[in-house]
Amino acid sequence: MTLAVTIAGLRLKNPLIAASGTFGYGIELENFVDLGILGGIVTKGLFLKPRAGCPPPRIVETPSGLLNAIGLQGVGVASFVHEILPRLARFDTAILVNVCGDTVDEYAAVTRVLEDAPGVAGIELNISCPNVKQGGMAFGVDPLLTHAVVKEVRKATRRPVIVKLSPNVTDITVIARAAEDAGADALSCINTLLGLAIDVETRRPRLGFGTGGLSGPAIRPIAVRMTWQVAQATRIPVIGIGGICCAADALEFLIAGASAVQIGTANFVDPNVYQSILRDIERYLQRQGVARLTEIVGSLRYPRQQ
Amino acid sequence: MTGVVGRLVEWTAPCPTAIIQSMPSDLDAALVERHSIGDAFHVLVFEHGDVARNSRPGQFVMLKPGRSTALPLRRPFSIMDVDAERETFSVFMKVVGAQTQALAHLRIGQTARCLGPLGRSFQSPQSPSLPLLIGGGFGIAPLLLLGAVLRRDAYEPRVFYGGRTIADLALRRTLEDLGFSLVLATEDGSLGFKGLITAALEEHLDSCTLPTSLFACGPGPMLAAVARIAARRGLPAQVSVDPWMGCGMGTCLGCVVPTRKANEERPRYRCACTEGPVFESSEVVWTDDRASPSRARETTP
Repeated sequence: MTLAVTIAGLRLKNPLIAASGTFGYGIELENFVDLGILGGIVTKGLFLKPRAGCPPPRIVETPSGLLNAIGLQGVGVASFVHEILPRLARFDTAILVNVCGDTVDEYAAVTRVLEDAPGVAGIELNISCPNVKQGGMAFGVDPLLTHAVVKEVRKATRRPVIVKLSPNVTDITVIARAAEDAGADALSCINTLLGLAIDVETRRPRLGFGTGGLSGPAIRPIAVRMTWQVAQATRIPVIGIGGICCAADALEFLIAGASAVQIGTANFVDPNVYQSILRDIERYLQRQGVARLTEIVGSLRYPRQQ
Repeated sequence: MTGVVGRLVEWTAPCPTAIIQSMPSDLDAALVERHSIGDAFHVLVFEHGDVARNSRPGQFVMLKPGRSTALPLRRPFSIMDVDAERETFSVFMKVVGAQTQALAHLRIGQTARCLGPLGRSFQSPQSPSLPLLIGGGFGIAPLLLLGAVLRRDAYEPRVFYGGRTIADLALRRTLEDLGFSLVLATEDGSLGFKGLITAALEEHLDSCTLPTSLFACGPGPMLAAVARIAARRGLPAQVSVDPWMGCGMGTCLGCVVPTRKANEERPRYRCACTEGPVFESSEVVWTDDRASPSRARETTP
């Protein structure tokens, strides 16, 4: 039995990837987790320069979910390449770097800095963060801007380019096809949903930034549906993301058409969740009499429309 | 309640980076004792050898009862006491919602997922001095372990314990039984000094001639007041903050506190979970407006 998958020419030992913003730069967790068991790690988002992030409070728990406005606090790409990457690259897992920008030029510039860095397996383009005033989601909700930024980044790297899509759109397949047309190798589906939680006593938002991004099991059915739609609308691989806590959750995305999955909010509760998910996926494949994980990708038996 | 402090509890050197140095462990810790004080307050004693042996005063654990994803996150609790021989530690908690309710009502023998010990602890006083421990509400919890370690090291700490009303001072009998020199304050005057605990502290400082150092844990406005008092009087003060915390491991960046060290030009956000929860009070950028939208512009990474 094999759990290995190949995405955009990138071979992962298994389909479980840590989602951006939920696993730091990986090394923060080296004392907690055997990083070598992960299929891959997507780093916290990086701009050219360090970012302070949003004012606290930055997180609030909501039913089956987490609303956050961290605001892409980060060390900047140069510091990542020189100080963090050499430590992270020692681990036997695919390092994917989440690339951010306020402008198309910044996205391309961050990508170029990474191009010479050893140990980077690919980049994930963050055009879907709801918690920054410029850039971020502004690109990911507009097919023309999506096309423009993906095209420039495509020119800046030979490495696989994965585009992380925003769910905060009417039709996610329009954005997905724009990214594909501009040269994306794969799509991550989905980033957080824009939300708002209010403290009724003070009548203020409960987050310092105001609105935030909703993640966790609360968004999973939406994420599975969007993964299914995007997988049908495009020819490039899809990575499913949204509230995965256990093997059954991960399998939903794979059956819907995802070639791999990312685990996000669950890392905050148990960064060792990977072990049990891998074990339970193997048991599932045995039970189903399937030898290769790839056989279940896109195997949804959807009722025919009348 | 044990009131026994493990002989192995030691002070820690300041943690130079945001990265946790020692290896905390994550396991299912069995509840071995519960002491309820009214409906809302509980002391819970859990079995967890690593926390019992390796905890330092001011450190915390992340607890989650059961595996439900309905409320996904763990909750942080200060370590109130440890017993290295029994391999137990205790936390003091107030029921404020469904997750704390579930934790408070674990049956003896049932387990909670427990990650710890975590965070930067209180640091030993720099020079011989009278330690004054200021606790507001359930912020008293880490000061019990701190007080016990200080006494073991031949200090004679004095505990200032305040709340809105007498019911908030749920651990006053425990502190009395442990023999601490105790000053109580309630805002409504139902017990002890009438007014804020920081006013009681000021009164004490006005008449005290000994060199003192302050250690505080409690609500934000209380900590800000302690910081102002310390700054005005030139006293060293360490405060343990309690922001919303997501992971406890430095990855979610949810629990940041604006801080500025002496050698830094501008404030930067630091994680309470890995670079705190204990900070020098002079390093915290205090704000009464917890959601000031201008804060991001004032802070650099």
